[in-house]
Amino acid sequence: MYIKLVSSDGHEFIVKREHALTLGTRKAMLRGPEIPSCVLSKACTYFTYKFCYTNSSTVIPEFPIAPETALELLMTVTFLDP
Amino acid sequence: MFTQLLHFWTPALLGFPPLLEPLLLAELKPGRPHQFDWKSSCETWSVAFSPDGSWFAWSQGHCIVKLIPWPLEEQFIPKGFEAKSRSSKNDTKGRGSPKEKTLDCGQIVWGLAFSPWPSPPSRKLWARHHPQVPDISCLILATGLNDGQIKIWEVQTGLLLLNLSGHQDVVRDLSFTPSGSLILVSASRDKTLRIWDLNKHGKQIQVLSGHLQWVYCCSISPDCSMLCSAAGEKSVFLWSMRSYTLIRKLEGHQSSVVSCDFSPDSALLVTASYDTNVIMWDPYTGERLRFLHHTQLDPPMDDSDVHISSLRSVCFSPEGLYLATVADDRLLRIWALELKTPIAFAPMTNGLCCTFFPHGGVIATGTRDGHVQFWTAPRVLSSLKHLCRKALRSFLTTYQVLALPIPKKMKEFLTYRTF
Repeated sequence: MYIKLVSSDGHEFIVKREHALTLGTRKAMLRGPEIPSCVLSKACTYFTYKFCYTNSSTVIPEFPIAPETALELLMTVTFLDP
Repeated sequence: MFTQLLHFWTPALLGFPPLLEPLLLAELKPGRPHQFDWKSSCETWSVAFSPDGSWFAWSQGHCIVKLIPWPLEEQFIPKGFEAKSRSSKNDTKGRGSPKEKTLDCGQIVWGLAFSPWPSPPSRKLWARHHPQVPDISCLILATGLNDGQIKIWEVQTGLLLLNLSGHQDVVRDLSFTPSGSLILVSASRDKTLRIWDLNKHGKQIQVLSGHLQWVYCCSISPDCSMLCSAAGEKSVFLWSMRSYTLIRKLEGHQSSVVSCDFSPDSALLVTASYDTNVIMWDPYTGERLRFLHHTQLDPPMDDSDVHISSLRSVCFSPEGLYLATVADDRLLRIWALELKTPIAFAPMTNGLCCTFFPHGGVIATGTRDGHVQFWTAPRVLSSLKHLCRKALRSFLTTYQVLALPIPKKMKEFLTYRTF
């Protein structure tokens, strides 16, 4: 149960369907903008992070985002999930 | 020596729907050999966690500061059980088992602050280029005392390192620069703030004058660019940490301002006052973004029952989405930034101070009778949008955000005008 997300520079990210399937990613798969791999990889990492810690009782670690990625990532997320 | 009590108790929510109410995890009480006496200064004016979360400090009144290693669990293991529970492992902690320390400061302790430690890489590089200066590469606790002195202690050993003199009255609050440069700021009832350089044996490098009444609180922004001070004459001052000059005065409170805190990305400042309000500000523009009004939950039975909700303390949660406040109406409140009313309450008598554990999950509070309580804090998984905002605002000022070529709505989100 995996889906494949492809970035604008040709990197393929294979993620579990249940982690990634929000309205936003469905939109992206149909008719999305070109998303660079550095942004898409961070988004995929976040999906896993969210899935892991949402229903657990362990301490939630920090999720670091590099400053140079943050703006593009925010714009992508805002587009996918306004 | 002190007695410990472990309570598990869900506080009544006074008719509000139960949402994430803070649960009392533990309460620590100092064991006092002599009779409890209101007049003999037994208040816990300050509580603090070290930035790496390994220590908790607590001014428990009667001139004593207690330093406790964190987490607390080990303390509750009674003697005799240790061998059984740890039979398979010898003391595996790298630094042995750090024990609690008792610091006798000789007079009432009003302010506490831990230095950032371990030192960030930038500081280690600095120390290598300044070999003539003693490299204080240890965790430090600064204590602000009744007569204006500041005592600097080494946490691991409990040894007194330095005595800083200069203030003429109570040192009410202290703050180290988060960068690890060992610059310390102190706030005093003598109406000044002072800047001390602990790399130079505690040399006083600047006096900040301008306040007209007692300075209650000081806080340095996490990006180390700004210093906030709050005082009795209802004003809040913002100073530059680069030039040590006044940037602006923030007007809006109607009474003494007693507590202040920056958000983790330095984009927001909250101040708390005896006027029952917490104000949230944009520190770069001076705009007031929110008023958090602390009202009575139950209507008073008669005039004699009116409890004034003067604020005592306000602090941000580590991920920057919640606030905790302590008020004289005997409530600890948790606020979500985007809402106008609290999301949770817990009854708390005689509360004076509060602080979040740096990795989240716990709030520590101190009371007038020298006790400390630990409460559960909301467990937060930040949205990706908020994480991006926090990453960007950690280095962008409000004006820099407004200059970005992005849609208006995104600017409003990034500057916390919308959530």
